[in-house]
Amino acid sequence: MISRRQALIGGTAALMLPLPARPAAPEYRLSPQQVADGVWLIEGARDSFGPRNGGAICNIVMLATHAGAIVIDTGGTARHGAALRRFADQKLGGVAASFNTHHHPDHWFGNQAFADRPIHVLPMTARLQAGNAQALSDGLYRILGGWMSGTAPLPGNPLPAGDGFGAGGRDLRLLALSGHSQADLALVDRATGTLIAGDLLFLDRAPSFPDADADMWRASLDLLAGLPASGIVPGHGPFARDSRAFVQTRAYLDGFHDRMARAADLGLAPSEALAAGPMPDFVGLGANPEEYRRAVIQRWRDFEDQALPLIGGSV
Amino acid sequence: MTLFLCHMLDSGAAGLAAYGGGAAPLAGKGEDPFDSGMWDLHRAEYLGDPAGWQADRGMRVLAPRAAEDPAHVPVIVDATDVQGQVRRIVVTIDYSPLPLALVFHPGRAKPVLGFGVKYEIAGPIRATALADGVPARMGGAFVDAMGGGCTAPAAAHARPDWQEGFGQMRGRLWPATGRLRVSIRHPMDTGLADGIPAHHLTGLRLLDGQGDLIASVDLHEPIEENPALTFTLPPDLAAGPVRIEARDTNGYSFAGEVTA
Ligand SMILES: [Zn+2]
Repeated sequence: MISRRQALIGGTAALMLPLPARPAAPEYRLSPQQVADGVWLIEGARDSFGPRNGGAICNIVMLATHAGAIVIDTGGTARHGAALRRFADQKLGGVAASFNTHHHPDHWFGNQAFADRPIHVLPMTARLQAGNAQALSDGLYRILGGWMSGTAPLPGNPLPAGDGFGAGGRDLRLLALSGHSQADLALVDRATGTLIAGDLLFLDRAPSFPDADADMWRASLDLLAGLPASGIVPGHGPFARDSRAFVQTRAYLDGFHDRMARAADLGLAPSEALAAGPMPDFVGLGANPEEYRRAVIQRWRDFEDQALPLIGGSV
Repeated sequence: MTLFLCHMLDSGAAGLAAYGGGAAPLAGKGEDPFDSGMWDLHRAEYLGDPAGWQADRGMRVLAPRAAEDPAHVPVIVDATDVQGQVRRIVVTIDYSPLPLALVFHPGRAKPVLGFGVKYEIAGPIRATALADGVPARMGGAFVDAMGGGCTAPAAAHARPDWQEGFGQMRGRLWPATGRLRVSIRHPMDTGLADGIPAHHLTGLRLLDGQGDLIASVDLHEPIEENPALTFTLPPDLAAGPVRIEARDTNGYSFAGEVTA
């Protein structure tokens, strides 16, 4: 699972070699806010992975309990995870357990800092974490450089079947869903009614689509929208007490689908759809136009075959 | 003027302009706007070292700034603004182990071609237009990539039924814009992936209703798996029908026809 290169970067070589003259990786600065009683949100940058944010782009939630914090998502690098762990240790009496909402790296590459306590994931997420760790890690080392130092991705442990979890007097409802990725975990804190939606919800930040299944995603949104919630933490973007994240995420899914279907049906090449930029209503979202451009490449083939009838074959 | 169709999407014209319109960075006469060591080599090898070549912002190339998927990097080139009757457009990738992607002979079609390539290493992709009586004109775009495009096995080989649907041709003609798009299911094996011999399309041509040649493309290893090509035809030819023929290194032939 851990490559030689990662072992080298994270292991003995890094400890034994004299440090080369390069700028030290900057520090992660966290600004935790308590959004409900005992519910701490450390909001990510509303942007794509980049050297400016060190991969700290997704929302991290910590729920205070008598037994320490329940940590939902662990950050995008080992050092990001370590900074989050320090906050939990200093302010919340340590860590009771952690969850990864899904297998995209911004949500779990900080797992190392939480490895002494259970890290829970959906079974499919565990498989995807193990299968994609190397490729995701290679990509992030390239984008984030020194921020990634010491990061050796550690997949979580598959949750047993069941829809509840409790620790230190706090109870969570677990919802095993999909659509943003092949397995998306959403959680509800029963004490405060806070919905922690993972990347099934985005707000003021463009949704990402590398593993999206739009129909499944919409079905998951319908289910989540039916839950009574006092407040909503999206996977990316601000905490909100209203349904804005639902409205915006649905509108983006529909708008992107319409734009791609139209582009393919009008005979555009994918490079033209990409250069045309995002849907006008969503140009200003965080991480756009980059996220839109990535999505065109990731999803184009879903639309192209629909637009091009069969006309021949091998002769 | 460009024949790109970005404007057909809401605020797509503004999007295209914000994207730079496909123009290469500014450069002085005889200077390479990408300042890359491979250009001299490739100019000699694939273009016959043309005298008086120039970077030309009218030789438009739209490509993603970052590859996202190194196996499918979508590109479209438009030489409409290049002076003279364009006879050939040669597409090369600077740091590819196999730099020559394709040679387009527009013939009676517009000098516009969309395609997808595999990318191995970050660097420029270039399109050079060769027109009658005019020095070679080069445009291009820098694509960031982290590799694996040319040396990774085609995705098809991961499936036990990969030969199912082999050669399947999809396509469509849009008379109002002259657009013609065609895709062929083909692994486009480069020969660089372990244990998988080269097996790729070598050429595709468009023929009119009388069977006369409209345009052709010589295709090489860097072209993506299951390639899709985008052409633009003048109004008379856009009325169709257009026959599409292709062949590959293993002697297979493929054919199909689109009508308005
Ligand atoms: Zn995600």
